[in-house]
Amino acid sequence: MKKYFAVFQINLLNTLAYPAELVTRSGMILIFMWVFFQLWRVTFAASGSNSLNGLTLHDTIWYLLLAETLELGRPRVSRTISDQVKDGSIAYLLNKPYQFLLYELNNGLGESLPRMAMLFVVGGALVWVMAGPPPNLLNWPLAILALAGAWLLHFCTGALIGLAAFVAEEVSPFEWIYQKFVFILGGMLIPIDFYPGWLQAIARILPFSYMMYGPARLFVEPNLQLFIQILLGQAIWLLVLGGSLGLAFSRGMRRLAINGG
Amino acid sequence: MIRELKFLLSLWKTNLASVMEYRVAFLSQSIGMILNDGVYFIVWIIFFDRFKDVRGWQLGDMFLVFGVSASAFGLAGILFGNAFNLGDIIVNGRLDYYLSLPRPTLLHVLASRIVPSGFGDFLYGFISYMASGQFSLGGLGRFVLAVVLATTVFVAFLIIVQSLSFWTGTGGTFTGMAINAMVTFALYPITLFDNAAKFLLFTLVPAAFMGAVPAGFVHASSWSLLGQMALAAVGFLALSILLFQMGLRRYESGSAIQVEV
Repeated sequence: MKKYFAVFQINLLNTLAYPAELVTRSGMILIFMWVFFQLWRVTFAASGSNSLNGLTLHDTIWYLLLAETLELGRPRVSRTISDQVKDGSIAYLLNKPYQFLLYELNNGLGESLPRMAMLFVVGGALVWVMAGPPPNLLNWPLAILALAGAWLLHFCTGALIGLAAFVAEEVSPFEWIYQKFVFILGGMLIPIDFYPGWLQAIARILPFSYMMYGPARLFVEPNLQLFIQILLGQAIWLLVLGGSLGLAFSRGMRRLAINGG
Repeated sequence: MIRELKFLLSLWKTNLASVMEYRVAFLSQSIGMILNDGVYFIVWIIFFDRFKDVRGWQLGDMFLVFGVSASAFGLAGILFGNAFNLGDIIVNGRLDYYLSLPRPTLLHVLASRIVPSGFGDFLYGFISYMASGQFSLGGLGRFVLAVVLATTVFVAFLIIVQSLSFWTGTGGTFTGMAINAMVTFALYPITLFDNAAKFLLFTLVPAAFMGAVPAGFVHASSWSLLGQMALAAVGFLALSILLFQMGLRRYESGSAIQVEV
């Protein structure tokens, strides 16, 4: 495990080595959160109610902050892997004494952690000013655990899309559509609680809600029953997606042809 | 002028021939982008199904705004694909190639690349317009005119933002933020924003001329709106050319020998 920790550490230091870039990149969350606040402020005002399906304006905005932090901070692993497959550089990683997918996982984590932390701090500062203080600190541990599960689900899906480059010429459309499913069925732009009943039922079965809605909802309303339900869902989908990833990787290796160097 | 127009047409023909060389990738990116846009729009269908109205804006208005913005975004990528990475070209000293040829530098560099997924965005805009329930032959003419003017403002904005690279020496991150800001603000109902924010959306980040104003013109023919759009297109284009020319005087390169393919 030491070597994987070293990979994580190198990428962490690499990302932290350019603090100005880290802060500038985090600026994007300011635009999104400001627009979200305007939209939901007007919507709540028009509804004439302080609470919609159990969420207040304050809850909705902090929910969206966590969702946006995860979306903007997760590594674009599909791009990295598909580029490596297409330009053949994957060959240089496969002959090293580590498992390729674990290497990429630690690589992504080292880049993603400081980005997500910075996004949360920068976006959180604006949200605090606009919507009020963050949810109680006691809510955070459950949300962080669910966030870790969501991150792993994103990694597995991204890596699966990246490995699709073994069979498809261009994988960007898969990534776009996956992202949009996360937007809708994951409740990234609108909390799933505001959806019609039938769509809520569909969303709660699919993995996307465990990738986004779960941790964001736990952040604003910690609930042991919801926590167990989310963790269980994440575990099931991790088995499904992780298993598919392992299978796709071994099949991809069989298709790989390395010609010279 | 006619000579430059012929040159531009040859560049576009060459670009088109080059994407057609990889038909599968071209088709998958175009169809993928249409699906991507369509899936993304479901968010607004869900939103307006639940909340009906945002300060006078309804689902039909969103179809229009989304249609104009998507087509303008796509058209910019089809005709002037390098407008999206002009900053990187400047920072990496890749303007040398264009400067060494007897053609207008800015026009040449902008039109030397095509973004294949732009076709998907461009077509989706028309689908969105037809789905708005406001389709008519006159409206279609106004839609085309509105898209052309919105594209001009968008491309001019991209040139302005990225010409700053002549002074700052950096490219990517800031450009990404500026594009995100422009597109995000263009795709949200303008009625959400107060007067100060609206002033910014007509000047600093002219997203109103990519979304709300052209959509308003398509909705109801108005000389006043047409005048505003034409003035914005001419004004921002003139400013962008001026800024690029001023920046060009500061341009430095490492005299790298490169081959443009």
